[in-house]
Amino acid sequence: MFQYLRVKRQIEKVVPDTGALTQEQLTQDPGIPITLRQINALPENAKKRVYRSLLPPELLGFYGIDPITWNGANGEPAVQMVAEAQTGSLKISVARQGEPEDPFICIELSDNSFNGIDLNLLLLNDPDSPSFHTEVDEAGRPTLFGTARRNLTEELRAMQAGLAPAQVRKSLGASRLVLQQLDVFFSILGHRAYFLEPLTYASAWVFERRGFAYVRGHKLMDDIHKEFQPGGKLNQALDCSTPFRMPEQWNTVRGRAWAIQDGILEVLDEKWDKFRMVKQVGRHAGVETFPGAVY
Amino acid sequence: MNSMRQITRAAELQSLPLFRDFIKAACKGRADIDDQTCYDLQLAVDEACTNIITHGYAGMNPGSIILALELGRSQVVVNLTDFGHPFEPSRAPMPDVEAGLEDRPIGGFGLFFIYQTMDEIRYQTTEDGNCLTFIKLLSSSERA
Repeated sequence: MFQYLRVKRQIEKVVPDTGALTQEQLTQDPGIPITLRQINALPENAKKRVYRSLLPPELLGFYGIDPITWNGANGEPAVQMVAEAQTGSLKISVARQGEPEDPFICIELSDNSFNGIDLNLLLLNDPDSPSFHTEVDEAGRPTLFGTARRNLTEELRAMQAGLAPAQVRKSLGASRLVLQQLDVFFSILGHRAYFLEPLTYASAWVFERRGFAYVRGHKLMDDIHKEFQPGGKLNQALDCSTPFRMPEQWNTVRGRAWAIQDGILEVLDEKWDKFRMVKQVGRHAGVETFPGAVY
Repeated sequence: MNSMRQITRAAELQSLPLFRDFIKAACKGRADIDDQTCYDLQLAVDEACTNIITHGYAGMNPGSIILALELGRSQVVVNLTDFGHPFEPSRAPMPDVEAGLEDRPIGGFGLFFIYQTMDEIRYQTTEDGNCLTFIKLLSSSERA
C-alpha cells in the first residue's frame, strides 16, 4: 500500500519576465530561473559578465581570442553580442579578424513562453575549411538553411565534400565542448533544461549524442530509422531520382539527412518540421535512434 | 552504494516490453529484490508509461520517456520523465473496486495497481518536463 502521494506543481518557479535583475532577486533562492529578458535589462558590462560564460575559454584561446575581453590578437573585438534591453533574445557570434560577416561560432538563444529558454541556432564552422554558398539560392535570396528555398548546385558540391545539409563549411568539431559550456550557463541561470528544434536529421543525431531527448519526434526518428532499412519505404525511395537519393545513402547519417533535405519523408506523409528536443542540464538522456550509426 | 540505471525510449506501446526487460535485468542479481517486487515495479512502470503514451503525448508526435532506476539498499526509486501534457495521478478518478463486474467501466485500474503496490508516489511538473517518482521499499526495510 502506498504511504504518501505528493503532487507538486512548481508554480513558485514561475518568474516575472519583465524588469531588470535586482540584488534581491540574485540573493533569493538560486533555484529560481532567470530569464534572458532580465539579464538583457542589465547594464552592458553586467550582461557581458553573464554571457561570457556561454563561450568555452579553451575554444576562444585556440583562435587567439581573449576569453575575458573578447578581443582578438590584434586587440580588435572578435565577439559580437546582441542582447537588447526589453527583449528576451541573445545572439553571440565569433569571427576572425577582418571577417565579421563570416562568424565561425554563432549562438542564438531566446526565452520561450514556458519560462524556459530555446537554443535557436548553434553554428560551429571550421573557418579554415572551404565554404559552400548553400545559404543563398542562385538568385542570391537567403535559403534559411535550405528550409525556405534551395541552392541545388551548391548543395550537391557540399554533399560531395562531406558536409551535412544546412552546413556552409565543415564543422568545427567542438559541439561537445560548446554544449558542455551551455550546461554550465543554464545552471548559472537556474534552468534545469533547455530546448531546440533540430534543423536537420544530422543535427538531431548530433544532439542525441550530446545527451538530448525528444519533446516531440522520438517515434518519428525511430520510424525513419526503420524505414531506411533494406525493404523499408524510405530505402525504396532512394531510387536515383535526384543526386540526393542514391541507394547507398540509407546507412549513413549524412546520407539520410540529404535525402530528408530533398523531401524523401513525403513517402511517409511526413515533413521535417515536427521535432523538438530537450537537454536536461547535467543529464545525458542516452537516446540512440540510429544504433551503430556511421556519420 | 546506490546503483543508478537509465533507459530512454520513444513514447509508444512498442517500448513497454523494453522497459519491462530493463527492470528485470536491473533487479536480476540483487538477492534482496524478490520476483514479486520486480513484478510490481514492472507493472507500475507499465501502467504509468501507458498513461504517458495515451494521455501525455496525445495529439502530438510522441517524444521520449526516460526511465531511471535507483537501486538502493533499502528501496528502489523509479523516475519516469516525459515532456508531454502533464498528467497528475491525483486527478485521475479511482475505480470503484466494490462495484460489480458489469457496473465497472473498462480501464482505470492502472493507477489503482500503482497505488496498491508502491510505497510512495510523487509527481512533479516543471518547465523541463514531467517527473513521476515511485518508491518501493524493499522487504527487509519494511520489516525494520
